[in-house]
Amino acid sequence: MSVKVEVIEGGIPHNKIMIAGVVSTLVCLYLTYLNVLTGTEMFSFFGGLAVVSALIWGSHTIKVLCSYGIGTGVPSAGMIAFGSGVIAMLLATRFNILAPIVALVLAAIIGFILGYVANNILNMKIPAMVQALTEMAVVGALSLMGFAALMTGGFTFAGLTTGTVTVLGQTLLTQQHSFMGGCLIAVAFLLGAIAIQHPFNACLGPGWKQDRMLMLTAECGFLSMLVAAVMSFALITSGSAIISLIIAIIGWVYTYYQYMVLSKRDAAAWLDAKPIPEVEAH
Amino acid sequence: MSAVAAKPAAGGAINPTAMGVGVVLLLILLGICWFVSPTVGLMALIGIIIGGVLIGFGVHFVPVGGAPAAMGQAPGIATGVAMLAAGGGLAGLFGGAWAAAAGQTPIVVIITGGVGGGLMMAITCMMVNFVYVFGMGIPAASGKVAKDPITGDTQAEYKSQGTEGHGLPFVSFVGCVTGGIFAGAGGTLIYLELLNLYKGALPTLMQLKPEQVLPIAISMAGIFAVGMFLVNAVLTAYNITGTIEGPHDPKFKRWPRAIVASAVASALCGLAAVLIVLPLPFT
Amino acid sequence: MEQIVFGIGITALTGALATVAGAAEDTESNIGSQGDPNSQVQLAPQMGFLHRIFNKAVAGEPPAYGLWCCLGAGLAWAFMAMQLNAVLAIVLGSVLAVFVQGVYATTAYVGRTASLSKFGQPVYVDILKSMTTVTMAHAFIAIFATVALCQLINGALGHPFPLPLLALVWGIALGAAGSATGNPYYGKERQYQNQKFGAGVPISASGNIVRYAEAGERNSIDNGWFTAKIGGSASGICFGLIVFLELWRTILFDKIGAGWGSIAIGVLMILIFTVVDRYIEVWARKNYGPYSEIKEASS
Repeated sequence: MSVKVEVIEGGIPHNKIMIAGVVSTLVCLYLTYLNVLTGTEMFSFFGGLAVVSALIWGSHTIKVLCSYGIGTGVPSAGMIAFGSGVIAMLLATRFNILAPIVALVLAAIIGFILGYVANNILNMKIPAMVQALTEMAVVGALSLMGFAALMTGGFTFAGLTTGTVTVLGQTLLTQQHSFMGGCLIAVAFLLGAIAIQHPFNACLGPGWKQDRMLMLTAECGFLSMLVAAVMSFALITSGSAIISLIIAIIGWVYTYYQYMVLSKRDAAAWLDAKPIPEVEAH
Repeated sequence: MSAVAAKPAAGGAINPTAMGVGVVLLLILLGICWFVSPTVGLMALIGIIIGGVLIGFGVHFVPVGGAPAAMGQAPGIATGVAMLAAGGGLAGLFGGAWAAAAGQTPIVVIITGGVGGGLMMAITCMMVNFVYVFGMGIPAASGKVAKDPITGDTQAEYKSQGTEGHGLPFVSFVGCVTGGIFAGAGGTLIYLELLNLYKGALPTLMQLKPEQVLPIAISMAGIFAVGMFLVNAVLTAYNITGTIEGPHDPKFKRWPRAIVASAVASALCGLAAVLIVLPLPFT
Repeated sequence: MEQIVFGIGITALTGALATVAGAAEDTESNIGSQGDPNSQVQLAPQMGFLHRIFNKAVAGEPPAYGLWCCLGAGLAWAFMAMQLNAVLAIVLGSVLAVFVQGVYATTAYVGRTASLSKFGQPVYVDILKSMTTVTMAHAFIAIFATVALCQLINGALGHPFPLPLLALVWGIALGAAGSATGNPYYGKERQYQNQKFGAGVPISASGNIVRYAEAGERNSIDNGWFTAKIGGSASGICFGLIVFLELWRTILFDKIGAGWGSIAIGVLMILIFTVVDRYIEVWARKNYGPYSEIKEASS
């Protein structure tokens, strides 16, 4: 990449964002458990909100890591986050109600060891590497859990691998027509991996502003929630899916509009059909 | 404040302490697996580690030039190394998964995966040279060696002025195909080990018949293979700091670090993948 | 025998779909200026060369196309699970995936350009309005063709992977093949049209991309026409060959020698492509000749 990258000061400190991200993601994930307590699937949309908060935290982690010039591009950081997160997330789903906490702990262990490997064995020697990879693995695992909760209504292994199909008026349990059977986790994987690295990648440059990047992350999160809600129509009741879809649409429209407003604030000029301004070349 | 200068220039050195810690970690992880599942799980984990090491090692062969290659300033392919290797390896995984579903022997499945990956890379590299020669009028030249190690062609006079080389010299092509073969074989090996493990263990875990759990087993093995593939490829990308010309590049000598790194990373992720189907407390 | 004929027919159809997908992918990524050549579009304002080129900084092509195709396939899978007709499901899935792609493209352009405000690069809203729909249209063709070929591989040829996972695999392969083949052509020939043809861009010229064209300032829509000259077709042939040969050797030769037949054919194909590549390389060295006299000097 030829664009100069600099560590930019100012804005909310990273640790505050991290703590807020962890707390809000876990709270939203556990709020989907209301589905089990009330016997409906209406609260699945909290899974999508968990994804949005995890992504906001994760994109700021990527910003911290990539500001040091890791030598490769930004997208690879998103890939390693979700590559390590998907395994932690699926192992954690075995633990029923403890799944989000177990996912956090497992992903942190995996991310920590990966960070140690990258920093010391591969000699990258970047100060923020170990903490950043730990956080990113956690973000990956929790976002995938959020997607799973949004699309199926829960985060247990049994719930992810069993679906229903109606044959001749009878409802039967099936493995093929489920979150794992249809491998929708692959879609969630890529949705999250692109959404986590896009905000920093798209706002990269000397004029980087934290509020603009975080607003873009929220927009990417709600957009991912939107398409995931459309996919959830196949797995949960239409009523619950419509609730998720409406919340996602409202969230996306608002954050997209705000992002455009912030970009207009930051741009050198906001022109419509004007020629290139005359500037001296340096 | 610019932080880019904060990194010390320790690019190619090997850190013996860290390598030692890595090997110890690997043994600990293998030990944990032996403790919870001495036969089935341990065999699967060893297969996964070998697969991960194959991927990590193979990606070093793939010539990637990055942004300068897109302008004809550097030899190699103008794409990111992790994702180019992923493209080749996943095409190999596709073929290997098909062979596995057709019930062929493991060695055939793995070699099919390797050949699939190699074929994809061969076609891509040939078309890259095709566009360079017939679309842009630029012959291939390496910037790192005076003579191509395989064909003996001299390189310096075919390098245009002001550039580091361009295109894919023959040694880079061979490296690319080799990398594709290793990556495809490694990814398929991981997939095959996990698939057999899950096909064996999921019926008991989920109280279902084997043919009912087959879609779940395939999906889980598939997405884990993809995930571990990406982790190993990105670690290799970190090792070569983004660009490499192929096996003749001096950066290629860094491969021992990547072997240890890939082994540890694959053991870690593989252990988690194996633990999913074992009886666990609190579940 | 019927089985093999049916398999060959489907393989031919998937090969055709893959060729179309490859061509459309490269055209789309050049109109939007995505991937490694985009670094020049981002560098130019910093060197004082302001421009009106669409700056679509959405990862590279392999992960981006992996996402669009996998998303289209996941949506198509969901629609098919809701008992929608397969073709309609794939079309609707591709439409929604393209909507996501368009949104990502607009946020990338606006974001990167706003962050380059220090150098005076303006955000041109008319570029947003004209370019976005064009990239979305080409992306739709690529995504639809890829998801359709994955559905054929899964449904008609019986591959075990479910549709989204297949589309992830082929989407990333599509992006890798199209990016590898098309990027140097766009980066060197289009962006640095002023440099001498037949040589790479010297490092001193970095950032000095072409910004003025036949009727005013250069814009990215014409990159579509430019890509169609050779880059798009080459990418299409590349991806089409990859898909077709992979399927062809498996369908025809898998039963021979319990799998060793298709391996042998695969190795033979790799050798053929190696010979072709060597021929191209030698032809270029002989026909184009060296840039300078043969020296004893090292690199």
